[in-house]
Amino acid sequence: MAIPSKLPPEKLYRTCNPQEFSFNTTADLEGHVTATGQERAFEAISFSMGIKHDGFNLFALGPNGTGKQTAIMHFLGNSAPQSPVPSDWCYVNNFEKPRHPKALRLPAGKACSLSRAMEQLVEALFTVLPSAFSSEEYQAQEKNIHEEFQEQQANEIGELEKKGAKEHIALIKTPAGFAFAPEKDGEVVKPEEFMMLKKKERDSIEKKIIALKTAMQSIMAQIPKSQRETQKKIKELNRNVASFAVKPLIAELRTEYTAIEEVSRYLEVLEADIIENFDQFIEKESDQKEVLPGMYPGKFLQKGASFNRYRVNVIVDNSATRGAPVVYEDKPACQNLVGDIEHIAQMGTLVTDFTLIKQGALHRANGGYLLIDARRLLAEPLAYEALKKALRTRQIRIESLAQLYSLVSTVSLEPEPIPLDIKVILLGERNLYYILSDYDPDFSELFKVAADFEDELSGDLDGKLAYARIISSIVHKDNLHHFDRAAVARIVEHGSRITGDSTKLSTHMQSISDLVHEADYYATAATREIVQAEDVQHAIDAKLFRSSRIREKIREATLRNSILIDTDSEKIGQINGLAIYSPGGQRFGHPGRITARVRLGKGEVIDIEREVKMGGPIHSKGVMILSGFLGARFAYDQPLSLSASLVFEQSYSGIEGDSASSAELYALLSAISGVPVRQCFAVTGSVNQFGQVQAIGGVNEKIEGFFDLCKARGLTGKHGVLIPASNVRNLMLRNDVVMAVKEGLFAIFPVSDVDEGIEILTGIAAGELDKTGLYPDDSINGMAVIRLKKMAEKIKKFSSSSDDDNK
Amino acid sequence: MPELHKSTHIRRIAVALDCSPHSKASLGAAAELARQLNAELTGIYVEDINLLRMANLPFCHEIRMYTSESETFDTSTLERSLKVQAKAAEQSLQRIAEDLMIKQSFRVSRGIVPEEVIAAAGEADLLVLGRSGRSPSCRKGLGSTARKALEEGKRPVLFIRPGFSAKEWPVLVLYDGSEGSRQALSTALSIINPDVTLNVLILGETHEESVELELALSEIIALRGSAVEYHHLPLSSGQTLMRYIRMVDSGLLVLSDRMKISREEVHALINEIDYPVLLV
Repeated sequence: MAIPSKLPPEKLYRTCNPQEFSFNTTADLEGHVTATGQERAFEAISFSMGIKHDGFNLFALGPNGTGKQTAIMHFLGNSAPQSPVPSDWCYVNNFEKPRHPKALRLPAGKACSLSRAMEQLVEALFTVLPSAFSSEEYQAQEKNIHEEFQEQQANEIGELEKKGAKEHIALIKTPAGFAFAPEKDGEVVKPEEFMMLKKKERDSIEKKIIALKTAMQSIMAQIPKSQRETQKKIKELNRNVASFAVKPLIAELRTEYTAIEEVSRYLEVLEADIIENFDQFIEKESDQKEVLPGMYPGKFLQKGASFNRYRVNVIVDNSATRGAPVVYEDKPACQNLVGDIEHIAQMGTLVTDFTLIKQGALHRANGGYLLIDARRLLAEPLAYEALKKALRTRQIRIESLAQLYSLVSTVSLEPEPIPLDIKVILLGERNLYYILSDYDPDFSELFKVAADFEDELSGDLDGKLAYARIISSIVHKDNLHHFDRAAVARIVEHGSRITGDSTKLSTHMQSISDLVHEADYYATAATREIVQAEDVQHAIDAKLFRSSRIREKIREATLRNSILIDTDSEKIGQINGLAIYSPGGQRFGHPGRITARVRLGKGEVIDIEREVKMGGPIHSKGVMILSGFLGARFAYDQPLSLSASLVFEQSYSGIEGDSASSAELYALLSAISGVPVRQCFAVTGSVNQFGQVQAIGGVNEKIEGFFDLCKARGLTGKHGVLIPASNVRNLMLRNDVVMAVKEGLFAIFPVSDVDEGIEILTGIAAGELDKTGLYPDDSINGMAVIRLKKMAEKIKKFSSSSDDDNK
Repeated sequence: MPELHKSTHIRRIAVALDCSPHSKASLGAAAELARQLNAELTGIYVEDINLLRMANLPFCHEIRMYTSESETFDTSTLERSLKVQAKAAEQSLQRIAEDLMIKQSFRVSRGIVPEEVIAAAGEADLLVLGRSGRSPSCRKGLGSTARKALEEGKRPVLFIRPGFSAKEWPVLVLYDGSEGSRQALSTALSIINPDVTLNVLILGETHEESVELELALSEIIALRGSAVEYHHLPLSSGQTLMRYIRMVDSGLLVLSDRMKISREEVHALINEIDYPVLLV
């Protein structure tokens, strides 16, 4: 089998040629982003925004920082202003059922003017009504009615009094009523004089008195009735006066709002209510005296309360809105979404009215678009449920949380629900989307469209230009120094490196934006007007350096031989594997020693990591695949009479992944065949049961990790790394690595089969089966077969001798 | 040049109390005056002998005001309720006296009410009483006690009706240059609150006379420092006068029944007019 040749330097790094760009600096580019490479997501967004049916809300999924929100805002920024402006909404008092405030829909911009008009109306009423009721005409009429009643009563009593006087009977007021008594010269007859009268006279007086008394009683019996009549007359008068004063004011309003039926209806009811309760606009002096300590001054309270009653609480004011509203709710708490009913403490109790109804994001975005971060939404208690309820029922029903959970027992309101017509756009990570669609049946009904954002875009010229535009937009937006084309090219290369794919570019806008800002910082520090490639490189290096403490510690320990890594000699059953560490998001690679030992046994490969539960399942799987490979290759016609043990030396924190399985296989082959492995190599790649080497992740970091160690010890030209051939397209290596390869000091071998790898590592061919079904004796496989045969014989011998012993 | 009489110095004010709205207003006005003049206030409550006599009549029934039921009227109940009323009157007097920090005394007597009131007021320098009291029919005009005081009682006497505040009375004095009117003016000046306007209605027989009267008066009154407004009306009948007084709409009316217009006309005026009246 031919050994694959070293990779040429140009394969190790895909440079972006600044000459590809037609611009000089980012100043030549317009500052707005066009989305490139997100066609799938955009198709979904445009579909979701366009379809008018229920439930076609959008979930934009993709890793954080890929610019989902920016992209959607950009899309809506083009389409939303073309849509019609939604209505204004306000809450007004429900005069019949004050616990159920009414919602009024008005054309955009009209709600505030209605509210102002109502405030002016109330102010006007405070002058119009008192002056109507303090007018002389009214006072005179009221007095007339009262006097009519009193006169009538006085006349009747007066008549009776006169009648009595004729018969010398006086009407006398007693402490509790009236009485009749015989009089003489204006005085009541003294009892003793009376008794001296003849019986006949006395009887006649008594008779007269009884007659008068009966007459008096019938007069008295009429009093309540005439009182009621008087009251009725006064009320009628009041109504007439109030209605005469109020009607013209409201008629003015009504002509203004005739077109809006709901408002005219409200004004009708309002008029009746004002006329019925006109007295609240007339301040009475006596009210002021009844102020208790801790209460508002009576005047204020009275005026305030009646003022509130006729106020208009504007919930949604679209007077300044252009097109459909686009709202991003940063804190999607339940009450921030559906609104809230606030209370004020008054004399130790909580009270509320319709003016304390507060709007939520759903109100603001009604008729338009609401963007919410899905993770934040789910983190807020009850908010997700409340949102779903609103979308399902297509209305916003404001319920106070405290009320819902009976945390406060006080009078609260049930405002009339407002119809909801909205597109909700949730932004979240993919994981969240999958969890929600798996576990929440409502979710897939309400969020039928998923905009799946790519985390990488194609690294062709279009992609590169998109990158340039993104950089330009960041520069424009944040007022940074412009980047020249070489600097842009360097960022494009870095974007490739982030994806770990030389043919792709990362769409992780956050990292790009960070890099742009950092490069700008270094350019400013170097007093450059234009950011150049070296500033970008400076930023990349500096970032690497800032996060390099752990990496340096590990390398230091290796150089001091606290961590044993051999990069020089040849050893049987020992090889350099490559591991990736990622503390705090920063990834770096470092070699680790893998060793294999063999002994007589029953053919099992013991994974020490697994035995001590430091290996993850994928790692264990990788090791078991090795058993499969060994068994198929060497134990076809004889039992595998060995036991092998495999371990990552000096690993103290566990290991996961199968990217070391090829290295483990090489160590095993070396241990079985007894051929030493060259320690100047490091190996990465997973392997299958047929011995094919498969792709792994983090190839760049791994190569650089080994390179850094070798470089520190001194490059000899022998050092190199074996990588899966399928990983070649992922190579975006650091410049110093590329330079070392160019100078022949370092090599990278693309390996597609373990047989290729073992030949590079040992210098001895793996060996292929000949016609007789045997491997050449001087090949690795041949030597392995010979050793295995010897071991099998030993076991056989041993077992038969032990059988003999037993006999 | 006419000289004003030396004002009768008011040291004791008597007020008739019977717990009616008029009497409450009288008490308020009397107390306010007492405070202003630093005078002593005497409350007079009269137990109506007519009531007591009536209670002793064998067949007497009381018709209750709000139920129109008729009940027998017995002496002990009546005595008790009169006591209660007297007590209430005394308490209201005490309360207002404490509030305004004036000296007060209270007197209960038994007899025919108007006579007793006038008799009890004999020692006082001013009698204050409601225009009407607890008379059975809610008649207009003066009550029996007031009428009696008007006809027979001593001067000055102050008739009060509810709805006027003693503190902010603007005062209207009728002045025609007669002896009585000069006295009325001097009494008005002695009781008037210096902050309120003094209206003087000059009743000259001719315009020239009116002007003269005003000129003469203004020199004297200017010394007092009160704000004065002069009105002129040719001497005329009581009816015209009454209309004019209503037009001026000033609070307290001060006049004398010893003026150029006849005593009867003055009394008729007092009986008709709906303002508090101080008769000098």
